Amino acid sequence: MRVFVCEDSFEGIMTAVYDAWASRLGHNNVSLQIQGEYNLDLFSEYVTVETEEEKVEKVVRTLQKISEEVFACTYKAAMSAEQEKADNIYRFIVLAIKHRSRVLERLNHPDVMKVFSMARRVGTEAHRFLQFVRFRELENGILFSKIEPKSHIITMVAPHFDDRLPEENWIIYDATHNLAAVHAKRTPWVLTRETELFPLLSSKKEADYEELWKIFFRTISIESRKNPNCQRNMLPLWYRKNMLEFDTVSGL
Amino acid sequence: MCYTWKKNMCAVIEMQIEQNMTIQEKLQILSDAAKYDAACTSSGISRKGKKGSIGNSLACGICHSFSADGRCISLLKILFTNECVFDCKYCINRASNDVRRAAFTPEEICNLTIEFYRRNYIEGLFLSSGILKNPNYTMDLLYQTLYKLRKEYHFMGYIHVKAIPGADEELIQRTGFLADRMSVNLELPTGDGLRRLAPHKTRKTILKPMKQIQVGITANKNEVAFYRATPKFVPAGQSTQMIIGATKENDYQIISVAEALYKSYSLKRVFYSAYVSVNSDAMLPALPDGPPLLREHRLYQADWLLRYYGFEASELLTPERPNFNVLLDPKCEWAVRHLECFPVEVNRAEYQTLLRVPGIGVKSARRIVQVRKSAKLDFEDLKRLGVVMKRAVYFITCMGRMCYQIKLEENSITHHLIHDDRKKLYELQEKESYQQMSLFDDYKLTVPPSVEDGRLSVSGEL
Repeated sequence: MRVFVCEDSFEGIMTAVYDAWASRLGHNNVSLQIQGEYNLDLFSEYVTVETEEEKVEKVVRTLQKISEEVFACTYKAAMSAEQEKADNIYRFIVLAIKHRSRVLERLNHPDVMKVFSMARRVGTEAHRFLQFVRFRELENGILFSKIEPKSHIITMVAPHFDDRLPEENWIIYDATHNLAAVHAKRTPWVLTRETELFPLLSSKKEADYEELWKIFFRTISIESRKNPNCQRNMLPLWYRKNMLEFDTVSGL
Repeated sequence: MCYTWKKNMCAVIEMQIEQNMTIQEKLQILSDAAKYDAACTSSGISRKGKKGSIGNSLACGICHSFSADGRCISLLKILFTNECVFDCKYCINRASNDVRRAAFTPEEICNLTIEFYRRNYIEGLFLSSGILKNPNYTMDLLYQTLYKLRKEYHFMGYIHVKAIPGADEELIQRTGFLADRMSVNLELPTGDGLRRLAPHKTRKTILKPMKQIQVGITANKNEVAFYRATPKFVPAGQSTQMIIGATKENDYQIISVAEALYKSYSLKRVFYSAYVSVNSDAMLPALPDGPPLLREHRLYQADWLLRYYGFEASELLTPERPNFNVLLDPKCEWAVRHLECFPVEVNRAEYQTLLRVPGIGVKSARRIVQVRKSAKLDFEDLKRLGVVMKRAVYFITCMGRMCYQIKLEENSITHHLIHDDRKKLYELQEKESYQQMSLFDDYKLTVPPSVEDGRLSVSGEL
């Protein structure tokens, strides 16, 4: 068994898929792994994969030729926080090359199902952050938001705000993965890695609007219909960390 | 003379609205007064953002938070004013109630909407209002606000606005070109109930703007098909709301009305709002156990069956059996009453037939149809596809085989379906306690003996 160890990004996984395929060892004799600390297998050979743009492009082109849905599904799954995602994606791509676009119909196949459900979970999380991102206005008028997602959803969240707030300067900072989406007025957004965060002061008006929002949030609820279980189903506690209307400690 | 009287009335009305209120107080009062409206969806239209403006819209709708009652907060739901000349018995803002009255200015509403929207608190504005002076005057205020928000503040997000019953067609028409969704509340399912509880509203004044909006939407769609640049009229469609439990109507009447509204008024949604007792009035029920939430829930379930599952109101309920079951959801209830249609073979049945199986929803039915092209499905596969097996097992076969040996008989299946739910409820409530298996009824399924039973057993009559 040869294990291809790659970096935790879409590009990293795509390169590893290329290398594993090109090694010609047979699908059963290769496996993919994301960099990190795992138990090592005694009889496996570990190879570290260097991400290469050219290989990424080749795999992406192959996937896009199969169908846009297959590509989208793979991309989303690659953004997942699951440890085994790289190997699952490899198995999925092997099947996709065999069955072409109809691979997504084969949900009863465990490898397809795994990638499909990872993609679905990432899609849900990305949508949840469209809902629950909260901006605050800084002294200089920039809108700033801090999020702590489990998956790498920032590339799926930023385009939405790019379209929605073209006239604003805004930053979404992903504290889990130390990434930031930065958008300057009337220009496309960019992704920055390894950001360093300075203490950020809110603008003067900010406290007023935060208070208004909290008033609205409290009064809009009907006392005789109180239902915290339903609320928690729709808005799980871990999302509430950075939402001003909830107490940041207890999440309620 | 009549004229001066009217003039004086106006002066009195304006006196009632408190001046010099802070924006915080206004928001508190006017969101509190708006919260009994059930609709808070922001769905039905996709619109891309544009340079120089703020906002876009997604057809799926986005909820931005969930309040303590578990309802979604998608739009800034406020009244323009809670001052009202109407005296609807069930409404907190009725003229005869002594509550603090406030009114926003159009600027204040625009400013709040934009500032909340920038911070991603909301998806847009939901603007309703009490009737200030008269319907036309109020509708015009709503129009002015929307005009300002769209044209001066360049807001491209979602706007849901109420059409005021009794307002001029022209005003409603103009407002419709600025809004995404409009709604006229039906309030009560029958004209009779309306006459009793909302003396200033009639079925006619409510249905007239509803029809007008429907006709407007259809005409506009045809126009847009020819000229793409034509401004869109109420592009996300219209909705309405009925209050449940304030009058004596039964569930059959309610869903029949809803069905008629979907069919003849092409409504996007009908909302059901469990009556919350805010006023004490001889005409209103007391509701000591709180609002009829379970009933509301059953009506929503039935509503989904009408819209997405191809059911008709007359299949779910009949005049002889006019109310939904407390213990079973409408789909399960329909299924156990129509066992002649079951079991359904998952690998062969048509999509429409699959949809009627309890435990199979729109998504899982679609997936089944897709997957079975390339494989024979078994019970394990179904589970993975998202079928709720605990309900579906009684009604399906996989490759000609049922999951367990089950008697296809109404009573036993009903018992199993209810038993499962009760068991779950019991386990949820008592999750801390561990217990030994027992021969007796631990799940408290049987009703405890009453005093009467005790007396009977003593006298040997039981």
